[in-house]
Amino acid sequence: MKELAQEVPASMSPARAGSAQLRIWTVSLVLLVLWASVPLFASRSAVDMLVFSGLYTIAGLGVTFLLGQCGIVSLAQSVFYGIGAYSTAYCTTHFGWPAPVGFVIGIGISAAIAVAVGWPVLRLSGYFLALATLALAIIGQVLFTEWDWLTGGTLGIGGVPQLDLFGFVLNTPQRFYYLVWPLAAAVLLLHRNLLHSRTGLAMRAMRDAPAAAAVLGVDNHALKVKVFVLSAVLGALAGSLFAHYVSFVSVDSFGVDRAINFLLLAVLGGAKTIIGAVFGALFITIMPRVLSQFGDIHAVLFAGCLIAAVMFLPEGFGGLLQRLAQRAGASARS
Amino acid sequence: MSALLEVKQVSRSFSGLRVLKDVSFTVQTGEITGLIGPNGAGKSTLFNIVSGFLAPDAGQILYQGRDVSRMSVPARSRIGLVRTFQTPQVFPNLTVRENIMAGGYKQTASGMAAGLLGTPGARADLARMSAAADATCERFGLTPVRDRLAGLLPGGQQRLVELARACAGQPALLCLDEPSSGLNSEEVARLMQTLQRLNRDGLTILLVSHDMDLVTVAGVIHVLCFGEIIASGALARIQTDARVREAYLGV
Repeated sequence: MKELAQEVPASMSPARAGSAQLRIWTVSLVLLVLWASVPLFASRSAVDMLVFSGLYTIAGLGVTFLLGQCGIVSLAQSVFYGIGAYSTAYCTTHFGWPAPVGFVIGIGISAAIAVAVGWPVLRLSGYFLALATLALAIIGQVLFTEWDWLTGGTLGIGGVPQLDLFGFVLNTPQRFYYLVWPLAAAVLLLHRNLLHSRTGLAMRAMRDAPAAAAVLGVDNHALKVKVFVLSAVLGALAGSLFAHYVSFVSVDSFGVDRAINFLLLAVLGGAKTIIGAVFGALFITIMPRVLSQFGDIHAVLFAGCLIAAVMFLPEGFGGLLQRLAQRAGASARS
Repeated sequence: MSALLEVKQVSRSFSGLRVLKDVSFTVQTGEITGLIGPNGAGKSTLFNIVSGFLAPDAGQILYQGRDVSRMSVPARSRIGLVRTFQTPQVFPNLTVRENIMAGGYKQTASGMAAGLLGTPGARADLARMSAAADATCERFGLTPVRDRLAGLLPGGQQRLVELARACAGQPALLCLDEPSSGLNSEEVARLMQTLQRLNRDGLTILLVSHDMDLVTVAGVIHVLCFGEIIASGALARIQTDARVREAYLGV
């Protein structure tokens, strides 16, 4: 949420910098105060929902980045999310290792699998690549169920210890909220840096015209693999956080439906913007819960919302925000 | 004068059809070399083999005396061998300046981790690419449109953006594929001046075209017909060659 405020000045005109700058700082400050005070007045279940939004922002950003900056449709994020969760759950409950070790192992395994799978698979493109990543999600779901010696199968792994920051136990949604959102903001900021770097430029060039990018010295395949690994790392990080948050991991959380949700998040949020991942994550966590009040028809209503969102906001919420910011910039200039 | 590029007995077939038969020619350092031929002569195939998009079935591509036949496209680009496309391939969602900045990609080296962290090195790289791009825009007369999306420019300007982007990478050998297609006669005249200027500045150019006006800028011309080089030499000599006249005019 802090990132929202940081994204706006980049897309606004530097004209009349003084007053605009002041306005941006004011808005940022208000947003920051709002963000910090949410757990003080919101209900426990609402904060819980926001924690999930934060987790999904981190994992979904990986998918968003792949889709928007590299043109790669990935349905495999549920696998890395699962690997992150199972790794830390297994390491902390079976070996009694500290959680950070579990995080590192989960991230390491995810990165290694992303290289091993990404290297051959990322030679494909378009629908074929999407199908290959879907196959990966299905294989992941099957293995998470079948390898019950490692994952507990359908019973899952319970009793994952709560995270503990210097003696401060993150045992409530409120406390976890203050961990997950700064992490999400940091991850968003890192990706924003990357987008505005030489590598980010090469990615966008590759997305637009791969042959021309190759002629300029960009090794498209290696670059795709690197971004895929980065995306897997984000998935694993979010998955590890998830395991410690809910204290229980089972295969139900890492199925193909989760993978589709992450892709949905990217599309709804607006894959070409970084901040879009936040809106996408908020949408896919809040909307179903709001609609569940309407009883059995909630799934149909959710589908209706998705269709409306895609029809009226083809570039997602992030695209809408960017357009509004540009318009504000243009009116400030004139 | 030495050969920058040597194509040695290159052959290539597609499903049994021999498109190139033992083709050999050289591009001398500092020259503009033309490669012409009627449609279906094998120009595009040969061009793709030189630039690395296709591998030859037999023969060698020597660049600066080194066999690059199996080298990837980006690897060839890094040693100075750069091409353009018959249909200009700009990055449509990037601005003109960003397009040209991408041309300077190989002159910089900061990696993904530096990019994520926004290290001073990564920022300096980007600033250098940006400054170089501004200078290139100026040189190619693209300054007025440098903040516009390249995909929204008319075809002639897209071609210029592609050319400027290729030059931003400071190539040693620039291979141009039909650079005049889609241009009006005034634009062709300007393109010829630009190519001559680039050549005076030390750039070696391989020009593939069927535009006889454009190839007048080339010092040496090779004529490709049905997969074979049928004539080589200066334009005046080519024009009087009996086999060339037969291929082009059917007389």
